[in-house]
Amino acid sequence: MKTRDRILHTSLALFNEEGEAHTTTIDIANEMDISPGNLYYHFKGKDELISELFNQYEHAISLTLSAPMANRLSTRRDSAENNWYYLYVVMEEMYQYRFLYHNLDNLLQRYPPLKRRFKRLIQLKRAAMFTICQALLQQEVINARSQQLLALADNMTLSMTFWLSYDTLVNDRRSPEITIHKGVLQLLTMVAPYLGDDELSFYHDCESIYLAMLADANTPGS
Amino acid sequence: MGDDKQKASDIARNIWLAGVGAYGRAVEEAQGRLEKAMEPPKLFRDLVKAGAALEEEARETTEAARHSVEERINRVRENFNNQRPARTEDLVKLSKKVDQLARKVNQLSKALADLGIDSKRGNKAPTKSVTAGPAAVRSKLVRKKAAPRKIAAKEARAGRKARNTGVLASKRTR
Repeated sequence: MKTRDRILHTSLALFNEEGEAHTTTIDIANEMDISPGNLYYHFKGKDELISELFNQYEHAISLTLSAPMANRLSTRRDSAENNWYYLYVVMEEMYQYRFLYHNLDNLLQRYPPLKRRFKRLIQLKRAAMFTICQALLQQEVINARSQQLLALADNMTLSMTFWLSYDTLVNDRRSPEITIHKGVLQLLTMVAPYLGDDELSFYHDCESIYLAMLADANTPGS
Repeated sequence: MGDDKQKASDIARNIWLAGVGAYGRAVEEAQGRLEKAMEPPKLFRDLVKAGAALEEEARETTEAARHSVEERINRVRENFNNQRPARTEDLVKLSKKVDQLARKVNQLSKALADLGIDSKRGNKAPTKSVTAGPAAVRSKLVRKKAAPRKIAAKEARAGRKARNTGVLASKRTR
């Protein structure tokens, strides 16, 4: 790996683990066992690091979020589950760059150029959620009026955006699998009132997987 | 209903196009104008327009993204199904399979037992094909007995080979 990529990699790991605000470029250089001067040669400070990491994230998540718009995730009722799996994909991607979400307001205040771009990502997320709900409505997986559909998409976007910080706040740090799975379960809970019996069984499966995960996590020595 | 559907898909498309457009330089211009004129609907219209221009370009990249999203969806599905609690219908299917297997094993062991008895007795069977049977089985058994040594040697060779290629592979990646 090139030094530049290694710096980005290490920064992302430290930002995610220790929090972006608490991590300095010196910490990053120390962690990598390179001199601060060497780091400075590649990035002229934390602004540049954050901006580059945000570029990476923006690129990846934009492509993921526009996927359902470009093409339906499910074409028939029996492939409706694809939409739920897609929520995992998005949440996993967000989790990789979770430092952005953990202190969002603060981060956007300190790095104003990111604000507009972040807003755009949220719009994309809304559009993706709306497209999914709309496809589900057309495939008669859910039953709702179009007015509710917009509100539902908004609620899903809201939960998705703040899920990672909420979960950390309430449960401290948990394993990523549990955090992500519970996040998806949370989103499904919002759709559940509109679901027919077939898809409800998926919801119940999702619930029991979560309980099994919790039981596993609480077993000492596992 | 058809109208509703059309309207709904237009909304999603417009939100999306506004998003794509915001990525372009056009947003800067639109925002400059916004600050002067305070025309939010116009901003949105401009964004949609700019987005439409970029849509073609975006379509190509989304094609590639779609593949990766599909792949990841498949991975999640697999993972999910592994953790999914067993349903009664799955269990029924499974026990049917077990029953089938058990029947096959019974048939096989019965066939083997018959042959074994025949070969021990060494009796003359009435038809040619049946006499050929035990002999073939016996020679197979003999071969099987001899096999372990060969197999062990083979495995040792394979192991060395694997290790060698492993070294090569790791060298190559370095």
